[in-house]
Amino acid sequence: MKRRTFMISAAGTLAGMAILPRMSFAAEGVVDIYFTSDQNVIDFWTNVVKPRFEAANSGVTLNLVDGGDGPGVAAIGDRALAALAGGADPQADLFEGFDSRVTVDGIAKGLYVDFEQAGLSNYSKVNPLALDIATNLPYRGSQVLLAYDTTKLDPANAPKTWPDLVAWIKANPGEFIYNRPNKGGSGGNFVRRAIYAANGNDPSKFTVENYTPEADAAMLTPAWDILKDLAPSLFEGGAYTSGNTQSLQLLGQSAVTMIPTWSDQALSAIEQGVLPETTGLVQLSDLGLPGGFTRLAVLSNGTNKDLALKLVDFLLSEEIQSAVLTELGGFPGVSWDYISPELRERFADIIPTTIPNFPSGDWEKAINDGWYRAVAPNVDPAS
Amino acid sequence: MTTLDPGLLVPVPAERRRPIGLLLVAIPVFLVGWLIIWPIISAVITTLWAQTPEGVEFSTATYQFFFSDSYSLSNLSVTLWTTGVCAILLLIICLPIALYLRFSDSKVASYVQGLAIFPMFVPSIILSFAFIRVLGPNGTVDLLANAVGLPKIRSPYLTPWGPVIGLVWDNIPLTVLILLSGLGNVSNQSIEAARDVGARKLQVLWYIILPRISNSILVAISFAVLGIFSSFTLPYVLGPAAPEMMGPFMQRTFRELFDPRNAITQAVVSFGFCIVFGLFYVRSVARNRAP
Repeated sequence: MKRRTFMISAAGTLAGMAILPRMSFAAEGVVDIYFTSDQNVIDFWTNVVKPRFEAANSGVTLNLVDGGDGPGVAAIGDRALAALAGGADPQADLFEGFDSRVTVDGIAKGLYVDFEQAGLSNYSKVNPLALDIATNLPYRGSQVLLAYDTTKLDPANAPKTWPDLVAWIKANPGEFIYNRPNKGGSGGNFVRRAIYAANGNDPSKFTVENYTPEADAAMLTPAWDILKDLAPSLFEGGAYTSGNTQSLQLLGQSAVTMIPTWSDQALSAIEQGVLPETTGLVQLSDLGLPGGFTRLAVLSNGTNKDLALKLVDFLLSEEIQSAVLTELGGFPGVSWDYISPELRERFADIIPTTIPNFPSGDWEKAINDGWYRAVAPNVDPAS
Repeated sequence: MTTLDPGLLVPVPAERRRPIGLLLVAIPVFLVGWLIIWPIISAVITTLWAQTPEGVEFSTATYQFFFSDSYSLSNLSVTLWTTGVCAILLLIICLPIALYLRFSDSKVASYVQGLAIFPMFVPSIILSFAFIRVLGPNGTVDLLANAVGLPKIRSPYLTPWGPVIGLVWDNIPLTVLILLSGLGNVSNQSIEAARDVGARKLQVLWYIILPRISNSILVAISFAVLGIFSSFTLPYVLGPAAPEMMGPFMQRTFRELFDPRNAITQAVVSFGFCIVFGLFYVRSVARNRAP
């Protein structure tokens, strides 16, 4: 009995030690990378970026840390800013999926590397549509597009413009569903596309600064009318899923024929067999459904700043950018000219010519409130 | 059954017993005060005293907004509806299970008990997605119904019945366990005595069993109602976009509309309804304690 107790406690202690948070100090040659993105992106780094970069640079290790979400990494950024003031080591080098504007005073105090001045050999390849500010470097993108069941809808007849899409939804009642705009980008960007449609397909009418309650009434109300008009033709006469995944599930169960979806989610769902191979993808050609790019920020006071910049340059290389398409199902951050012709051919349907990016801030808040009040309750839930 | 008479215990001198007892309850009382009571008071203060440029001002504006806004009110009423329907369904489903488990000696009973407790170990997010697979459109139920030539039924997914089914399933274990513990107080002798004088099964249930477990029923319903009123995951994934239940509504107001004051107002209103059931529970516990 004593032996057993000993074995149990010894095993427990060992297990406990194994899960103890390992103390990490910034070391020469260990690049500390913090992620805001989901597990599929970290898996991509673990399986593709890390082995290739470490093989090409002996003695270098990439330490991939899941920062949880935006606020998680923002806290690391705030600590790095404090470390910059005190001349201390921030114990971080690179942030993935991060907007350097989030750290208050960070850019002004020079916390983040200016990529225009960093001398990256691949910087000129970056897609001009994706460029934002000099301290944010886009390396992969994702856009919302339409996924549909080719066994029920011939690709030749798939809608290619907004009016076509509206006509198709009305001609095929119950076959389309989008998720609530605040519960996932696929439905959220479908709603934003409707807002563009109500405002002359002109994304430049919406900026972070130009929100006013009067503009809200004038510009969003017509969009709510379009969506209210669509509601009776949607799945179950006006149901809305509560997230990107649930929409994919309904398409996979063949309950609907078409959904808006993130390109990377749709491609990896097809890859994993969650969606059948007969799933078709199409982007609207009059104005694409909105999307966005994921950006990197490099800390100027990181111990391994130079290695981090070398890594960023490596991420923009054709090797990794092609892998973003084939392994991750995202868009490359570089222009399509720098992608091999075979890949360009294969993904021709989803190459965006425009990637509208709807502003966040007050507009986002107005959409999250307005849609729920104007569009969602229009349908009697008991019917 | 014999119970120990408290008088038989060796009495500890009063002056020695008191400080230790108080010390033992001090930590939980302090934690309840710090982590529960204080946030409630602070929530009420935040919603009633608004920060204005001229200083702090008493205002009931957010409450007036809540009770005059038809959207908020329909969210509140769907929450009350869901809670009420769930409570009734839980009682209808769980009482027979608990009665069966209490009075059956067969081997099957232990399997039934295992099955009834099983939902306790299923996280609600997994339950939600399984629900879509099984009860959702073109799900397992649809396929089975179709295989035997039955017509396609409208799926409860994304209607107010979706969360009801999920929440009832999720709350079965707790309700069954509480009812079962209440049924433990019903002695076999009293039932046999009733049968001896000719009581039929329903009469035994109505005159012997139910009066003895009414307290447990009240406790079970209070627990279920408190959990269901503030539930989040199931109404969020399975329910309709609008009206929302209070849980998702509060979260959306706080995180996506960046409006903490209205979110806290919604929380205080929810708390006001929940405290009624909390008081039921406290009263029934106090009544149980009374000699």
